[in-house]
Formats: sequence, structure tokens, C-alpha cells
Amino acid sequence: MSSADRLHNLTQGTAQERAEAAESLAQQGPNAAFAATELVKACGDEQAISDWAVAALEELGPPPTAAISSLAKLTGSDNAQTAYWAITLLGRAGREAASHQNLLAEILEQSGEISLKERAAWGLGRMHADSAKAVMALKQAALSQNERLSRLSGKSLQTQT
Amino acid sequence: MARKKSKFTLLMWLLFSGLSGGGITGYLIPSVPIIGPIITKLTAKGKTVAAGSGEILIDSATGLLNGQSPHRYSPSTAVAGQLASARQPANGQSQVTANTAAAGGRQGNGKLLIASFNIQVLGQSKISKPGMKELLAHVIRQFDLVAIQEVRAKADNVIPEIVAAVNTNGSRYNFVIGPRLGRSNSKEQYTYVFNTNTVEHDPSSKGTVNDPKDLLHREPFVTRFRARTQSPSQAFTFWMVNIHTDPDEVPEEVDALADVFQVMQKARADEDDVILLGDLNASEKQLARLGRIPGMQWTVRGVMTNTRQNKAYDNILFQGQATREYTGRWGVYDLESNLGLSRDQALQVSDHLPIWAEFSVWEAPAPTTTVGHSSPYN
Repeated sequence: MSSADRLHNLTQGTAQERAEAAESLAQQGPNAAFAATELVKACGDEQAISDWAVAALEELGPPPTAAISSLAKLTGSDNAQTAYWAITLLGRAGREAASHQNLLAEILEQSGEISLKERAAWGLGRMHADSAKAVMALKQAALSQNERLSRLSGKSLQTQT
Repeated sequence: MARKKSKFTLLMWLLFSGLSGGGITGYLIPSVPIIGPIITKLTAKGKTVAAGSGEILIDSATGLLNGQSPHRYSPSTAVAGQLASARQPANGQSQVTANTAAAGGRQGNGKLLIASFNIQVLGQSKISKPGMKELLAHVIRQFDLVAIQEVRAKADNVIPEIVAAVNTNGSRYNFVIGPRLGRSNSKEQYTYVFNTNTVEHDPSSKGTVNDPKDLLHREPFVTRFRARTQSPSQAFTFWMVNIHTDPDEVPEEVDALADVFQVMQKARADEDDVILLGDLNASEKQLARLGRIPGMQWTVRGVMTNTRQNKAYDNILFQGQATREYTGRWGVYDLESNLGLSRDQALQVSDHLPIWAEFSVWEAPAPTTTVGHSSPYN
């Protein structure tokens, strides 16, 4: 299956084709990075597809620069798993995604999902976030009673020193 | 050998030709609760079913770990400590030939082969592929005990079906499985699949490591085993700590595993052997504080453990002065060369390869002194 075929099937195929495409991408490791955005979207698909999409994303490494903007949009997805992985990939992009730090800061401040807040805190550290909004959000989160959120936020604040 | 090769050729053809095969039987698995504080109390309930019957062996787990009766292992007639005959030469070498005479589960030389295998997205879609169950069964039969990571299935039939496939040749494997874990919706289970002819499971010992600071994405599933021998009081007993770290928080998780390991060393005053194994998402150079525990040993060195042969993230770790049952032999089970698969075919099985280490079935005498820290036997 060519990369183009995988991408086509993942986004437009039948359920079986989407699952097979996601599985095939999961076997590519970092070579599947070209499908980063589509894989993140697939996290909101049926479990037979999303499990493989998640597996692919775990092995993907950082996303290509060209995908960063589209990933940023997906951080606002109604599907928590899609949002989670969009945030994760932005975090993996590090400083390259720093222009989206305020987006992650908003998630850290406002998301109702603790896993998304935690990932946002982690991602801001990876970005070496230094905007006033990001720093404020991290400082606030560092005071959280949630130990993990507090820890991740505190650690991310240290990346600025 | 030629007959077995042709059988596998058929299996590979079935696997990749799209033909269907095999039936599905389902089993319910009682949940194993996440417990805490660390491994001090278990309250999981289950039912006991005879091993080898094709049904789940899940024992009731009551009471505390400390002070358990020494006769807590599942009752059985002692089987002579005959284990696998000469296995593949290893110590850094991949197993490049399929020596089925040395298959795990067979008896003979007083040794146990313990393996770890991250089977990528082990769920219904994987085991539904023609020939896949049989292939996984064959791999599992190479070892006496396999710690598996990445069981990802909503239903509870996946591991029972695989174990049933393992036992189609008369083997008597069973399994114990942990809860679904993970911070996102995609959760994973750890499981141990073991040859009941050569390994006994302590049903009162299973649990998930308590992680009050939420340092670990998928807290290790731990349980205790004993080599099955004619002299149970002298048999090798050990904790197994199964782990699959979060690839995005590896340094933190590996650091936390240093604490997990040391807690497990103290979990029972009468148990000094802790085997931590799995997909650490960290090479031997990235073990940090875990690798600096005095006397810490790890088996995988200098070879890759993933199917693409560019990462060495799987390992088996133990404290060498305590776990002198380790014979020094270890290996990586190469799916391509052992099963005649292409790279793409092997990737359909998993992006990781099984790794293994050999241990004596007999408990080594307690050390009289330990370097760097006080004896656990004070």
C-alpha cells in the first residue's frame, strides 16, 4: 500500500479500509509522520481504527512542521482522544509549535478534562513557553491540588530558566 | 524440522492470504482492581478453574501478601523440574534458527525461559487474522513464562483465545491479566501467559502497583511465580513486574520504576527476586537511576529489540546479587528468521520482538553480604 493509498483509505475508506490503513501506518513508525493530522483525527473513529491510530501516534515522533497548524486546530476537538493527541504532537514539535502556546495555555486553564490539562502543561514545557498567558496558566496550575498537574506545570515553568 | 517448516509456511499463507479460520469462544475475566498502598492488600475476587481445561484460571485473592501461607500456590502434583532442553545460544545473539527441539515449555534441563513481548495492539482485529493466533501460540510456546504488553481490547476474549491456541498441542498454559490502564480512552492491559507444567502462579500475589503521584501512565502489573519442581521449597520464586512506559514521559517513568523496583524488593521479606521487564521505551543507556540501583543487571545489551531493528527499548532487569538464578543466557527472538517471515509480515505480528532470559529453576542460596547496601535478609 502506498502512502497515498494509506492516507486515502484512512480518511475516505470503509471502516475496514480505515482500520487497515491505520494498522499499516502503525507499522511504519516515524515514517508515518506524513499522516500525523489524519491519524489524530482517526483517534475519534471507531475503536478498531482509533486503537491503531493511537499506536501509530505513539511511535510517530514529532510531527512534520507542515502539520502543526492543522494539529493546533484539532486541540479543540470535541473528541477528547483527538484533542489529547493533537496536544501531544504539538508538544513533541517543541519550539516549532511555540506560536500555539497560548492555545495550550487556554486548554490548561479551561479544559474540563484533566488529561488534556496535564498534556497541555507538559506540552508548554516542551515548547519552552514564555508568553505571559502561558506562564500565568502554568503558575496557576502549579498550585493545583492534582499532584500530577502541579508537578508537570512546575516542571514546565522551569524550562524558562 | 521440514514438516514443521511446511506447517508454518501454511500458517503464513493463511495469515496473509485473507482466508478466515478458527472459531471464537468467549470468557469473562473478573477485573483486578487497582490497589494501594503498594501491594499490601488484594481484594480481587474470581473463580478457580482447573488449568489446562481451556478456561480461565483465576483464583480468589484475599488477605495480605505478607505472612501468606507458604502453600499458597495452586495445588498440583509436583512435576519434575524438567524444562526446555538446550535452547538457542544467545547472550547477545538473536535467535536466527528455528530450533523447535528447544521450544519453551518442554522439560529437561532445570531452566526457565522468561520472556517479554510487546504485541502491538493485541486485540480482536489482530487475532482475527488467519493464522495469527497459531503464530502467536507458537512463539509463546518457546517460553515458560511470557509477560505481554499492549493488550488492547474492549472484550475479554483475546487472551483466552490465544491461550487456547497455545494449548491445542496438549500444552497446559494459563494466564493472569491485569486491569485496563491508561490516561486516554485507549487503554491497555498487561498479562502473563505461563506454562503450568513448568511454572506455578501465586494467585494471592497479583496486583497493580499503587501510584499515588500518578507518575506512571500504565502502572506495572505485578505477580509472583514459582518454578514447578519436585522440591517446591527449593524452587526459584520471583516477582514479575510488567511495564510499558509512556513514550512521551520516559525519563520520569523510568525514574519512577527505580522506586517501584525497590519497593518490590521489600514487598515480601522472604522474596528477594524481582524481575522487571517490558517495553521501557528506553535503551540501556537511558536507564538512569533504575540502572544505578546497586547490582542492577539488564539482559539486553547491544542488540535491537524492535522488528525494524533500530531500537532497543525492551529489557529484562533484576538485581544480580539477589537473582543469581539467572544463568547468563538471553536473547531476542527474531520473528523473521525464526518463522520465515518478511519484514512486513513480521510487522503485522508486532513492531517489537520477544526478548528472553534464562533462569535456574532452583532458588539460589541467600547472599551473605551484598555490596553497597544491607542484605534484605536482616
